[in-house]
Amino acid sequence: MPLSRLCLVVLCLCCAAAAPAAAPPRRIVSLNFCTDQLLLALVPPERIASLTWLARTDGDAAQRALAARLPANRGSAEEVLALHPDLVLAGRYTTAITRALLKRTGAAMLEVDAAQDWEGIRRTTREVAAAVGATARGEVLLAHMDAALAAAAALRVADPVRVIGWNGAAADVPGADTLFDTILRTAGAVNIAARPGAAASFDLEQVVRARPRVLLRGTSYAGARTLRAGVADHPVLRALPDIAIIDYPEGAWACGVPAAADYALDLARRLRALPAVGRTP
Amino acid sequence: MRRVAPLAWLLPLLGALALFSLLPGRAGWLLPWRLTGHDAELARLILWELRLPRLLLALLVGAALGLAGAVLQGLTRNPLAEPGLIGASAGASLGAVIAIYSGLGAAFALAMPLLGLAGALLGTLLTLALGGGGTLSLILAGAAVSGMLLAGTALVLNLAPNPYAAYEISHWMLGSLADRSWDQLGLATPFVLLGMAMLLGTGPSLDALSLGELQAASLGVQLPALRRRVVVGTALAVGAATAVTGTIGFIGLLAPHLVRGAVGHAPRRVLLPAALMGALLLLVADLVARLLPLAQELQLGVLTGLTGSPFFLWLVWRMQRESP
Repeated sequence: MPLSRLCLVVLCLCCAAAAPAAAPPRRIVSLNFCTDQLLLALVPPERIASLTWLARTDGDAAQRALAARLPANRGSAEEVLALHPDLVLAGRYTTAITRALLKRTGAAMLEVDAAQDWEGIRRTTREVAAAVGATARGEVLLAHMDAALAAAAALRVADPVRVIGWNGAAADVPGADTLFDTILRTAGAVNIAARPGAAASFDLEQVVRARPRVLLRGTSYAGARTLRAGVADHPVLRALPDIAIIDYPEGAWACGVPAAADYALDLARRLRALPAVGRTP
Repeated sequence: MRRVAPLAWLLPLLGALALFSLLPGRAGWLLPWRLTGHDAELARLILWELRLPRLLLALLVGAALGLAGAVLQGLTRNPLAEPGLIGASAGASLGAVIAIYSGLGAAFALAMPLLGLAGALLGTLLTLALGGGGTLSLILAGAAVSGMLLAGTALVLNLAPNPYAAYEISHWMLGSLADRSWDQLGLATPFVLLGMAMLLGTGPSLDALSLGELQAASLGVQLPALRRRVVVGTALAVGAATAVTGTIGFIGLLAPHLVRGAVGHAPRRVLLPAALMGALLLLVADLVARLLPLAQELQLGVLTGLTGSPFFLWLVWRMQRESP
């Protein structure tokens, strides 16, 4: 075949690839734990080329099992290039080198904002749903989210419950403008660490001093044993009067995906079920 | 009387500081006259469950480090020896990290201090075996062994399915007394006290050794037995302590030097005052860590390192001038 004709063929192939994609992407790679969650909810697993390794360790049990059967990545550029993805989903902050390289190679990539409230979740869900060609599925997820939000609002207790999210590490307490805070407000709680003038970090003494009615204890990454988990298990917490300790998957709660509304609904139910605390002993 | 003199001011100072250290903390000052009703119950919990174990841990670990430093300096006749520099602390960190992140520690509580002291034993033995030649070779061997063991610690943390590895490595390299419990204190205390008892008993042999190895042997000191005793005692005391607090450097180096001016250079006279001084130093470091008005509490190693490293350099500089 003459060289010119080969060039023509290659050119045509390129045109075909660059033309507005009628077919949705079939080899999608996610580089961020939260886009993992969105992707798993939006498309069938056979269209996912790879998820982050974290998707196997945290989040909803069914999604974890699904993720365990898919190839895992740790966000390195070489891994991603070797997968030949037709769409890469990434967060805005992590895997910076990989993202820069992908931009230079011209790969299709969508950088997804970390949504911290329900409006943000609607926006990013629609954005990702459109990119992966699952617009209808995205609307189903959002309708489910709105139903859960309405149910949580109906259950909300009149007097907000004082809650702190703590996993044993002083510097890692979710404050204002986080999805955690949004979930708490929706569920009828007030986040102690989000109040004006709240400390930037909470060690055990400060947690005791803050007198939370509920301590949401961040458990993370199934099976991971950590130093902070030992601190979060300190005997002084069990000795506190009028404190309910509720474990929650902190990794999943950090992800702005429609399923976050389910966490809010679940928390609203638990807060409603708390026994009333008398002011006098 | 000279021997009693340093104890005479160390003990009351230590006692006063220990009592004072119960007052401040990140939850605010616990002032007895301001506690009523609801606050009193909270204050009791904070005092009893958090600040008291923390205080006792500071005293115990500081004393263990100070004593181990004094004994190691006596054994190696090397003013730069201390548990952190000869691989004991780094080995203990590695042992404790293996216990925690493999889940052994959760299944069997004693695994943590036991693996901690096994690690300290390994580190100390390696350093003494490789660096027996003299002052400098001991320090170099200690640095190499510590580096290797700390790399092992980082490796275990990275291999564990632990997304917080990077944060938790800093705990094991810089140490902290924050948020410890009675359980942890109870696990470490028997081992630390046993090790300290073994170390305190080495005084007479160390005195004889300060005259030289041949002279010591002629005085009836069995050097291999003495070495074993020091290594095992250090591993017990420092290993179990480090398993709970992480690596705390320089206390063992500073404490003996700070008391030598008052008690003289005979190793035996240095031991007990060095233990008290170690407790005092760690207590002060922990107090400063708590009192500094920072958004996050400083790791202890930041403070002991900031004060200890210049002192270490000064010691090296002085040694070079005295014996070029």
